[in-house]
Amino acid sequence: MLIPATLNDSFLADLDELSDNEDDLLEADNDDAEHMEEDVDGDLADIEALNYDDLDSVSKLQKTQRFTDIMQGGYVVAFPLSYSATDFLKVEDALENGSENSTHGIVLEDDPEYQLIVDCNALSVDIENEIVIIHNFIRDKYRLKFPELESLVHHPIDYARVVKKIANEMDLTLVDLEGFLPSAIIMVVSVTASTTSGKPLPEDVLQKTIDACDRALALDSAKKKVLDFVESRMGYIAPNLSAIVGSAVAAKIIGTAGGLSALAKMPACNVQLLGAKKKNLAGFSTATSQFRVGYLEQTEIFQSTPPSLRMRACRLLASKSTLAARVDSTRGDPAGKTGRTLRAEIHKKIEKWQEPPPAKQPKPLPVPDSEPRKKRGGRRLRKMKERYAITDMRKLANRMQFGIPEESSLGDGLGEGYGMLGQAGSGKLRVSVGQSKLAAKVAKKFKDRSYGTSGATSGLTSSLAFTPVQGIELSNPQANQFGGTQSTYFSETGTFSKIKRT
Amino acid sequence: MEYLLPTLRKKQEVDSLIRDTLDKVLVLRFGLSSDAVCLQLDDVLYKSVKDVSKFVTVALVDTTEEEIQVYLKYFDITYVPSIVFFFNAHHMKMDSGSADHTKWVGTFQRKQDFVDVVEEHMVQGCKSSLCNCRRYTERQ
Repeated sequence: MLIPATLNDSFLADLDELSDNEDDLLEADNDDAEHMEEDVDGDLADIEALNYDDLDSVSKLQKTQRFTDIMQGGYVVAFPLSYSATDFLKVEDALENGSENSTHGIVLEDDPEYQLIVDCNALSVDIENEIVIIHNFIRDKYRLKFPELESLVHHPIDYARVVKKIANEMDLTLVDLEGFLPSAIIMVVSVTASTTSGKPLPEDVLQKTIDACDRALALDSAKKKVLDFVESRMGYIAPNLSAIVGSAVAAKIIGTAGGLSALAKMPACNVQLLGAKKKNLAGFSTATSQFRVGYLEQTEIFQSTPPSLRMRACRLLASKSTLAARVDSTRGDPAGKTGRTLRAEIHKKIEKWQEPPPAKQPKPLPVPDSEPRKKRGGRRLRKMKERYAITDMRKLANRMQFGIPEESSLGDGLGEGYGMLGQAGSGKLRVSVGQSKLAAKVAKKFKDRSYGTSGATSGLTSSLAFTPVQGIELSNPQANQFGGTQSTYFSETGTFSKIKRT
Repeated sequence: MEYLLPTLRKKQEVDSLIRDTLDKVLVLRFGLSSDAVCLQLDDVLYKSVKDVSKFVTVALVDTTEEEIQVYLKYFDITYVPSIVFFFNAHHMKMDSGSADHTKWVGTFQRKQDFVDVVEEHMVQGCKSSLCNCRRYTERQ
C-alpha cells in the first residue's frame, strides 16, 4: 500500500476508527432486542451491517484505488454507501488543491468539482440521519441512568456531549457543564439529577454509550467540514444564488433539489418549500407553528424582516432565488452581478412595505347638487324596491266601479274607501299577495322544470264566501288564469259585468 | 382674525370682490374684529373656509372704516356682526326667521350650521329662488 502525505494518512486512520465503531454499534443494536425502537433500528442495522460488511471489504480496495488516483490526480466515482472513505478523501484533496478554479467545462454537470459538491450534499443529509439514529441509541441506553435528561436537552449533539461529560457520575456537583449548555439549563439539569430515579449503568453499557457519543461528535464535525467545503465552493458553483440567500442555504437547497439544473427547473413555490419540516413533534405547542417555508427560513434576509411581513418576504425570496438559480444553471453570469442586483431589489421592496401610509388630506366639501346621484340598478335593487311597491290590494282599493258606491271602513262614505276590494262581480274573493314580476320569472323557470304543483293555492281557502249583496258566492278558479295582477275591470279578456235586476 | 381671512377696508375692494366672484357664493361679514360675538363668528368662518372652498368665498369687512359706511347705510346694517350673501353679483335674499330678509344677523353656534346655510344659498342661487334658512335659527 502506498504511503501518501501525512494528512491523508491521519485522516484515513480516523476513518478506520469510525468504521470500527460503527460495527460495534451495530452489534450492540442487535444485542438489545427488548426495546421496540431497537427492533426498528435493528432491522435497519441488519441491512447496514450487511452492506458495511460487504463494503468494508470493498472500501479497502477503494482506499487503495483512491490513493493511486489521488497521486495521479484523477477522478473517482463514489459508491453511494461508502461515503466515509472516499468522499472525505476527495474533500481533503480538493481543499489541498485549493483555489484551482478553472472555468473549463461549460456544462456544469461535467465539472468534477460540481459532482463532488453534489455528493457532499447527499452525504451531509445522510450524516444527519445517522446522527438521529445514534441519538436515539444513546438516549435509550442512558435512560436507565438519567431519564429526564432527554426532555431537558433536545439537541442531539448537545445531548451526546453532556452524556459523555456526566458518564456514570451520580453527583452532578462534581461535573462541570459550563460551556456545553446555557446556564439556566445547567441549573435545571443539576436540580433534576439530584432527584432522579436512575441508577448507575453497568460498565459495558457505559462503554458502548460513550463510544456512541464519540461517534456522534465525530460525525458532527465531519458534517461541518463537508458543509464548509461546499460553502467555500458555492461562490464558484452558483454565484448568483449564493449572493441572494447566502452560501450555506444555497448549498442546502441545491442538495435537497438534487442538483443545480433540477433546482432551476422547479417552480418558485416548490423552492420555497425545500427542506420544510412536516412533522410537528408531540409536546411542542402549535401556537408558533411555522408557515410553509423551508431552508429559506435560515437566510439573513428572512430573519431580518419583521414577523408580519415574513410570509410575503418568503415568497419574494423564493421567486428571486429561482431566477438566480436559472441564471447559474446556464452559467449566464459568473461574476454574480445578477444575484447582487436581485438582492438589492429584494431589500428595496421590503423597505417599501414597511413605510407608513401617506397622511390623509382633508378634502373640501363638494358643491351641493353638482354631482349627479349614482343610480344603481340590477336584480338586487329591484327586489328591494318590490318591498315598497304598490300592492294589488292597494290598486284595487284605489279603483272604483262606475255607478256603484264603494264600501268604506266607517260606513256611509266615512273612513277609508275600499274601492273594488271584495266587491261582488270581481272574480276574486280575497286578494292574496300577487306574484311580483321577479317571482314570476323564477316561478316560470321552476315550472319549466316541472316541480309538481302548478300555482300556489293555500290549503285554507274555501270556494265559499258570504258577500253583502248576494249572500253566498262561489269563486271562479278560472278567473285568475290570465295574469293575476291585472284587475278584471280593465282586463281585455274579462266578461261583461252583470247588471242585476232589483 | 383679520390676518387669517381677507379683510376689506376700501369701497373699491368690496366692489371688485362682489363683481369678480362668479359661480360662487360670496360671504361678506360686516363687523368689528374686536367684538366678542364677532370673534366667535369669525372663528366659525375660519374653520369652515377650507371645507366649503369649492363654492364659497369669505371676506371680512371692517365697519369702522369710513368708506364702508356707505355699505352700512345701503344694507341697513345696525346690529353687528351681520352677514350678507351674494351669488354672481346678486344679493341673495334669505328667510332666517326674522323680519329682515336681506342679511343674517349674529353668529352661528356650530360650524355645521354655517356650512348648511351656505350650501342652501348655493343651491338656491343656482335655481335663482329664495333661500329658506329658518331651521338654522330655530335650532339656536
